[in-house]
Amino acid sequence: METSFAITGKGYVIVAADTTSARSIIKMKSDEDKIKTLSPHLLMAYSGEPGDTVQFAEYVERNIRLYHIRNLYALRPSASAAWIRRALATSLRSRKPYSVNLLVGGYDTSEHTPHLYWIDYLGTMSEVPFGAHGYGAYFALSLLDRYHDPEAPLEEGLATLRRCIDEVSKRLVVTPGKYKVKIVDKDGVREVEL
Amino acid sequence: MASVFSPPGFDFSNQLRNNFMAQKGLPLPKATSTGTTIVGCLFDGGIVLGADTRATEGPIVADKNCEKIHYITESIRCCGAGTAADTEFTTALISSNMELHGLTTGRKPRVVTAMTMLKQMLFRYQGQVGAALVLGGVDSTGPHLFTIAPHGSTDKLPYVTMGSGSLAAMAVFESGWKANMSREAALQLVKDAIAAGIFNDLGSGSNIDACIITASHTEMLRNVEMPNQRVEKERQYGFRRGTTAWKTENVRSLIVNEEITLLGGGDEMDTT
Amino acid sequence: MSIMDQNGGSVIAMVGKDCVAIASDLRLGNQALGVSSNFQKIFPVTDRIYLGLPGLATDVTTLKERFRFRVNMYTIKEEREIEPETFAHLVSSTLYEHRFGPYFCEPVMAGLSKTPSGGYKPFIAATDLIGCLNFAKDFVVAGTASEKLFGVAEGLWEPDLEPEDLFETISQTLMNAVDRDAYSGWGCVVHVLTKDKVITRTLKGRMD
Repeated sequence: METSFAITGKGYVIVAADTTSARSIIKMKSDEDKIKTLSPHLLMAYSGEPGDTVQFAEYVERNIRLYHIRNLYALRPSASAAWIRRALATSLRSRKPYSVNLLVGGYDTSEHTPHLYWIDYLGTMSEVPFGAHGYGAYFALSLLDRYHDPEAPLEEGLATLRRCIDEVSKRLVVTPGKYKVKIVDKDGVREVEL
Repeated sequence: MASVFSPPGFDFSNQLRNNFMAQKGLPLPKATSTGTTIVGCLFDGGIVLGADTRATEGPIVADKNCEKIHYITESIRCCGAGTAADTEFTTALISSNMELHGLTTGRKPRVVTAMTMLKQMLFRYQGQVGAALVLGGVDSTGPHLFTIAPHGSTDKLPYVTMGSGSLAAMAVFESGWKANMSREAALQLVKDAIAAGIFNDLGSGSNIDACIITASHTEMLRNVEMPNQRVEKERQYGFRRGTTAWKTENVRSLIVNEEITLLGGGDEMDTT
Repeated sequence: MSIMDQNGGSVIAMVGKDCVAIASDLRLGNQALGVSSNFQKIFPVTDRIYLGLPGLATDVTTLKERFRFRVNMYTIKEEREIEPETFAHLVSSTLYEHRFGPYFCEPVMAGLSKTPSGGYKPFIAATDLIGCLNFAKDFVVAGTASEKLFGVAEGLWEPDLEPEDLFETISQTLMNAVDRDAYSGWGCVVHVLTKDKVITRTLKGRMD
């Protein structure tokens, strides 16, 4: 099953998403990247209805990029999240709404603070210290309640994330195999191997 | 969506979404409706309207002292039962239109006019606007009393009841009503009818409102009878200060400090 | 289980002596799964009006934006701040406009309205999801714990409470009610409005 996590720490946000692409019970692909880089300091993990996800993520990506080109500066994380939420809420009122759940993580370069937003397909949005989507959320959130530290350095944050992934692998019946992990901090976006 | 201009009428933009969510197995919440007792009664030279003051949301009493006798014009009033928001907005709209009608014609608008406006509006919405009304008033053609059902049908009768307490109230009218009653007798009968609703119908309760309309004068009797007054509490249930543990506090001062600094010594104005 | 209970959350407002208080829980859930313990449901509209929006979280955000827009338009057109009574009617008509496709929110308002003598009068109001106004003189409640809140508030509220005493009464009412509601809780926030200040406190509540 699709699972994505994200946690904030001291000056960074780590976003992780599984890499499986499935059609009903068949695993079609195991190296799918479900985390888009929206701007130099913004990441978005997406999951949900196959097709809708990529379509919506690309729509968001292009519009955030367009804003950057037009204004010569990128939209800040809070503004980007609000725009994305609005796009989902509007889509929900159309004939065929996008069924996409998101985790938007970014580093605000003017305030020097990391931000993480939990957004679901209804347009529900909340800024959270850590968040998760999919069945993995049921395991990860309780674990993060115990181990998450908003002031933790990056190594500790990655260790906490590894705990989440291990727990989901251990207890969830249909476990996603591999995860892609990306970090956003003051230096921008980068991918790491766990 | 963020247009400054908003067209009149209802906005259906949420309908697709709400249907979509209903399909996902989440039932739509029921529109809050009010169980009510409202009555009207004709007497020698006027009309008495009556209503209880309970508003309900399912089994919960949402408002213990709401007003159900709505203003239409100075000598026309309307009691509302059914979906609370619908009665409120329908009567407010017709009241506005009656005021405008009075201004364009230069005459005191008649009760039939209000009745026609209400029934045409309710019929147009095919019962979807859930307002059941008792309309009463006095105009140049004398006193008139109507009921208007949610689908737009109307009745003109000497005594009427509506709402969930209508059966209890009607029983009182049937046994006590006489033609050409006095004002006092009519008011007492209306009070008894509402009381029957309050005490025998679960959807109705609290106090009695009445309104007496005659050719020369309209008297709104808000809470004429209060048979369900709460007794004073025998003890105080206030908490000692400091009972509640709190984590953070933020005090925002609303006092605006203004200081006037005179520039250039403040010479008198040159008025030459 | 209806759409109104999807995300959980409750709001209450109470009248005191020359002051009002409005309080809410901080939970955002997805059915039984708790997602956030810092989801604000109460928003300042002007210095002396606070608006609580319990209900479906997506509509909480949408309505918050919508009301901000409409209040700003009012302020620009009228060149003055909106009064609580006027704002209550703005909320009511906005919701009734969506009578046949409602927003799943039951707004609660608390404010202080200006009197002709220059003083301030406490004001509270609530509406149902299609905009039927309820002007109460004591307290108004809404949300998944509304039934419990009605009961507790009915027992604990008393007239003419001073700001500090009103804080205790509203806090205890809310906390004890949400402790009996699975979909509300996870911390509370209380705002007490007086004529010269707004006191905002976050309460220590149960996290289960």
